[in-house]
Amino acid sequence: MKPWKVATVIGLAAFGLIVLVPFWWIASMSFKTYEQIQFAQSIYVPRPFIWDNYTGLWLETRFPLWLRNSVITAVVVTAITTVISCLSGYAVARLRFPGRESVASLILILYLVPPALLFIPLYRVLAELGATNSLWSLFLSYPTFTVPFCTWLLIGFFKALPIELEEAAMVDGATRTQALVRVLLPLAAPGIVASAIFAFTLSWNEFLYALIFIQDEKTITVPVGLNLLIYGDVFHWGQLMAASVITTVPVVALYMFIHRWMVEGLAAGGVKG
Amino acid sequence: MLVVGLIGYPFYRAVWLSFTDKLVGYPERWVGLRNYIYLANDDTFRAVVRNSLVFTVASVALKIGTGLLMALVLHNTWRWRNFFRGLLLLPWITSTVIIALTWRWMFDAFPGRGFFNSVLLDAGLLSRPIAFMATPEGAMAAVVIANWWRGFPFFGVSYLAGMQSIPGELYEAASVDGAGAARRFWHITLPGLKHVIIVTTLLTFIFTINDFNIVYVMTRGGPGTATQVFATYSYEVAFNALRWGRGVTISIFVVPVLIALIPLVSRYLLRERAA
Repeated sequence: MKPWKVATVIGLAAFGLIVLVPFWWIASMSFKTYEQIQFAQSIYVPRPFIWDNYTGLWLETRFPLWLRNSVITAVVVTAITTVISCLSGYAVARLRFPGRESVASLILILYLVPPALLFIPLYRVLAELGATNSLWSLFLSYPTFTVPFCTWLLIGFFKALPIELEEAAMVDGATRTQALVRVLLPLAAPGIVASAIFAFTLSWNEFLYALIFIQDEKTITVPVGLNLLIYGDVFHWGQLMAASVITTVPVVALYMFIHRWMVEGLAAGGVKG
Repeated sequence: MLVVGLIGYPFYRAVWLSFTDKLVGYPERWVGLRNYIYLANDDTFRAVVRNSLVFTVASVALKIGTGLLMALVLHNTWRWRNFFRGLLLLPWITSTVIIALTWRWMFDAFPGRGFFNSVLLDAGLLSRPIAFMATPEGAMAAVVIANWWRGFPFFGVSYLAGMQSIPGELYEAASVDGAGAARRFWHITLPGLKHVIIVTTLLTFIFTINDFNIVYVMTRGGPGTATQVFATYSYEVAFNALRWGRGVTISIFVVPVLIALIPLVSRYLLRERAA
């Protein structure tokens, strides 16, 4: 083999290890007994291999409740985001109105403003609305970062589609709404699905707002609940790891589905988090 | 559609502005300057500024270096490139809370829970476990590593896309002219990636200097104030000490950085979109 091929194989192996070892460590701990973890027995492979951490997590903790809250939040936020982003993305990409370019930059700037700057004022607004301590606070606050991001993505997707198809439809007597719903949206479906999955992932992983806006242990989402488990009950390492695995799997599954589109959308700057 | 666009859109903007207005509405407390002066004389706050900069600069520098390496490796991968690209992107889509938690256990002082202690003890390289995160330097290194691990795949994939858009003829011409691999990298690859490198660096700088999750979950700013950064300190002051005005002031200190960087990034990204 040529030297560069050898170097590439070594590089791939090294990066593969860097990425996979932490995942493997967490996953393997989720199948170990308390004694294996506590006394560092059989550190590389769980032996005996047990499911007790998963059943314990499901039956003894509030994790199922947190999971439910996370699912509800992510689904509602994704739905809100997709509707608003499609409309606003369409408006910027297709409608002629004064200040269109500045709207595009405004969306981008809104996306770049970090949540760490907004959490205190947002908390006050939500408290005045009486939305804190319920999932409503998340339904209202998450779109502040998902909508600008998804709109930005969709503007790109819409602009890339030929406008002639819609014009042809309108010449044939379709209204603008029909042209949007029957022509543009079906064509842009891959982009819309990708942006919806982004919105879902961003909501699913969000931590700061969820930590601040909700105090009730029955209403919190998974990331906040995990944090409670870390600093709370120190004896259930395995359950904590099991919870991490359960939380990661759905996002990884969704991601495998859109990996290609996602890599293309990356250039739009998806490093928030 | 026109109606929805014309009514719905300004409404959506108004909702947005209402959020930004709230931030602007805050100077009532801020203009009083008391919080401002207090923070300027506060040793903890000085530590926070220093920590935030160390955390951000170290993470971003590591990500650029590793990202370039990752892109080179993937660029030369002749089979299953998409598979490896997907695999290496995994950290980037995983929840930051889980990443922080994972690295907390990787560095844990107890062998059975801490990966490094387990492996090093097992290999006989250590005689007793090290409490990696108990020292200020160790804790800072740990949060930087966690942040780096989460972020470098994004850099790698972005650079890879940049490399793939560099025309192959440039390399061929350079080879014909007798340029070695190192010179081709220096004179063709790096200049070709300039745009991507600038955009990813600026974007990541903005989000890293405001990072909350990794530091909060891994160290809570400790030991002492060794890893306290803007966002975590702002949270501490606002929600634990209940000093809202001061908490907001802490985050306002970052605003000048954002005012300088955000228009720059936007210009680059908008230009890219226009092209």
